[in-house]
Amino acid sequence: MKRLAAISALLVVCASYSFGADECVKCHQLLGDKPTQLFKKDIHASKGVSCADCHGGNPRSDDMERAMSKAAGFIGVPKGDAISEACAKCHADEAKMKSYGSALPVNQWKTLQTSVHGKLAVAGKEHIAQCTTCHGAHGIVSAKNPASPVHPLNVVKTCATCHSNAVYMRSYNPSLPVDQNEKYRTSVHGMRNAKGDTKVAECASCHGAHDIRSAKDLKSKVYATNLPATCGSCHSNAEYMKEYDIPTDQLEKFSSSVHGIALLQKHDLGAPACNSCHGNHAATPPGVESISKVCGTCHALNADLFSASPHKRAFDDLQLPECETCHGNHEIVAATNELLGTAPEATCGRCHSEEDNAKGFQAAALMRLLADSLESGEQQAQRLVDEAEQKGMEISEAKYKLRDARQARLEARTMVHAFDSDKFSDVIGKGLTVASTVHGEAQAAVDEYYFRRVGLGIATLIISVLVVSLYLTIRRIEKKQQKATVL
Amino acid sequence: MKTFLTKIYTYVDERVQLEDLVQFMGKKYVPVHRHSVWYYFGGITLFLFLIQVVTGILLLLYYKSGEELAFESIQFIMSKVQFGWLIRSIHSWAANLFILAAVIHMFSVFFERAYRKPRELTWLTGMLMLFLGLGFGFSGYLLPWNELAFFATKVGTDIAGVVPVIGKPILIFLRGGEDVTGATLSRFFGFHVAVFPGIFTVLLGIHLLLVQRQGMSEPLGVEAGAAAPQKTMPFFPNFLLRDLLLWLIVLNILAILAVFFPWELGQKADPFAPAPAGILPEWYFLFMFQTLKMIPAQVWFIDGEVLGIVTFGIAGLLWMLVPFWDRKSARGEQNRTTTYIGIFVVGYIIILTILGWLL
Repeated sequence: MKRLAAISALLVVCASYSFGADECVKCHQLLGDKPTQLFKKDIHASKGVSCADCHGGNPRSDDMERAMSKAAGFIGVPKGDAISEACAKCHADEAKMKSYGSALPVNQWKTLQTSVHGKLAVAGKEHIAQCTTCHGAHGIVSAKNPASPVHPLNVVKTCATCHSNAVYMRSYNPSLPVDQNEKYRTSVHGMRNAKGDTKVAECASCHGAHDIRSAKDLKSKVYATNLPATCGSCHSNAEYMKEYDIPTDQLEKFSSSVHGIALLQKHDLGAPACNSCHGNHAATPPGVESISKVCGTCHALNADLFSASPHKRAFDDLQLPECETCHGNHEIVAATNELLGTAPEATCGRCHSEEDNAKGFQAAALMRLLADSLESGEQQAQRLVDEAEQKGMEISEAKYKLRDARQARLEARTMVHAFDSDKFSDVIGKGLTVASTVHGEAQAAVDEYYFRRVGLGIATLIISVLVVSLYLTIRRIEKKQQKATVL
Repeated sequence: MKTFLTKIYTYVDERVQLEDLVQFMGKKYVPVHRHSVWYYFGGITLFLFLIQVVTGILLLLYYKSGEELAFESIQFIMSKVQFGWLIRSIHSWAANLFILAAVIHMFSVFFERAYRKPRELTWLTGMLMLFLGLGFGFSGYLLPWNELAFFATKVGTDIAGVVPVIGKPILIFLRGGEDVTGATLSRFFGFHVAVFPGIFTVLLGIHLLLVQRQGMSEPLGVEAGAAAPQKTMPFFPNFLLRDLLLWLIVLNILAILAVFFPWELGQKADPFAPAPAGILPEWYFLFMFQTLKMIPAQVWFIDGEVLGIVTFGIAGLLWMLVPFWDRKSARGEQNRTTTYIGIFVVGYIIILTILGWLL
């Protein structure tokens, strides 16, 4: 430990000596300019990087004219892309970075160029953001240093410098909101961040640092299909989340849910990702009261029916989260008839028992029966349609009609949320009528198929008899003719 | 019953002198030799044509021409009309068998030199009917207005449009505009049920009249080597009954095809959809289609497709005019060159058709 302290002290002395020996610093210190003051604390200064390494010129010459001459390579204050190019001279050079004892990645400049900030600025001459835009110029410190503008506790403010500036943002993306910072501060992440928690998500945690892409970009960490993994990078990490006392299986459950399968496997962008229910910058778990509103943004009809149903008041009284009580949250599976009814795996039975709530119990049992009968009727009709089609029968009209039965089944699944067995049986009845009509038409087509074969058999028999008779007639006539010729 | 039929016969005879016709038919004989079997293909072709007429008229009772109606009306015929499926399938199958029988009949006539004097006109009318038959097939193929038919017609009319000078006007005339649309369907329907049948009936009348008047031609070899009296059979009833027997067998084949392989309707044509992969014309156009595909894009300074179409045009014309340039056969002499040409043409058609299916 003592040895380490001695080496550190030596390094600081050496750095001070080298900094002190720099003629640029000597002069500019006398002039009292701010960059020189700031650069004293800059991480680059501590690593022995001189003014001339970025600005060019001869730091050993005390003659201002010669030190800051073009012949000495002086470039003055870099402008536009020249700023990032100056940084990249070292930061994109692995060998150089190693010589400074840095383990930083050397692809920042490259990734910045491919990012949304790497696009050309409105003037069309330089990129939107340079290294200094976020890191500052002369007072640069490590990102882990609380004084750094990109430190987790400061980065939101740094990003907000541009992103909360409506006038500035209008030049680049007028449709992009400028209230991210405000929303963030209302989120669980934002509130904890404000209290000094450096582990919670800030801008760079979700959007990346140098490689930030538009949310519409397929490669963006916040693109709908990538978002669950981005959130999961913290929320599925049990070790990382240990101190927060919340479950870490959300991603696992979501991935196997109907929403997760649609989004992650079928790449259906209409399916919800984490932010669809929790919000993005204002991310927070929906409360008991708001859960049906959140689900209702997509499942509007179901939410309306539920709100008008007798269950609404009962759920409110019991403080039950509306949709979640029956469907769950992250693990929502496709709604099948199994959810309905009084069987152990059905949800209705959890509240409606035969003894305590006979009316609800019977209604649930009836609704399940009706739903099953429609499903079975539709399946039978479908099987017959398939059979008729496979037999080469023209059945397109019945096939088309069958879509109405399917539609009725889907409608019935929505109508369940009214919890009114009369309304439910009306919809089911509509579907059953269609299924029965299709069944009849498909059966007729299958019967017709066999009738055709029987008909062909009879026709072939008659034709064969005619052919044989004709053949015999010809022979008889020709024999007669031969006899007549002989005579 | 017999008295009643006799009365009818007498009634008609008194007015149109049927007796002369019966006398003529009674004295009509058909040569019997080792190639006699080919005579029956004329009758089979005629029978298939009659089936086409009857089934075509029945389909007309329900078919509705028009972009929005054609496909649906065929769907209706196939699923709702009593025996509509049978009529449509027989019509489609008989159309194909008609072309096949006509082609066999044509080649048998060619190889037997039956086109030689005095039967030049019979050959000419036959060839014109064959071309009309192909026209029937091409125009009828579009009428269901399904995907395959739509694109096959597009490709077919595109090929016609390549013909130098007259190609473009022909294309516009056939399509009723620049593209295959409802206008094309309307005029194809017109050709199929009015123009072609009208012309065909006239040609068929002349053809049959000439066949009856001139009798069956005997192959050159048979005629030349006839030392003994030529063996014959009476046209009525012997030949006619044999014809009838074959017709019954063809009818049964048609019924089997219609029941086991009902003619598919496919998907409704969508002019905005991309052409499905592997679009092929009907089998009887396949050898020409394959040839055009195989000809290089540029042959010397001529466009490959133009060269192919012009060559087929000239070849078809020369084939039709064979009675006029095959002077040797006209004189009753054997002409091996014509035989070799015929064998080459048959071989070419068969090989290119197979390649068309496979490639």
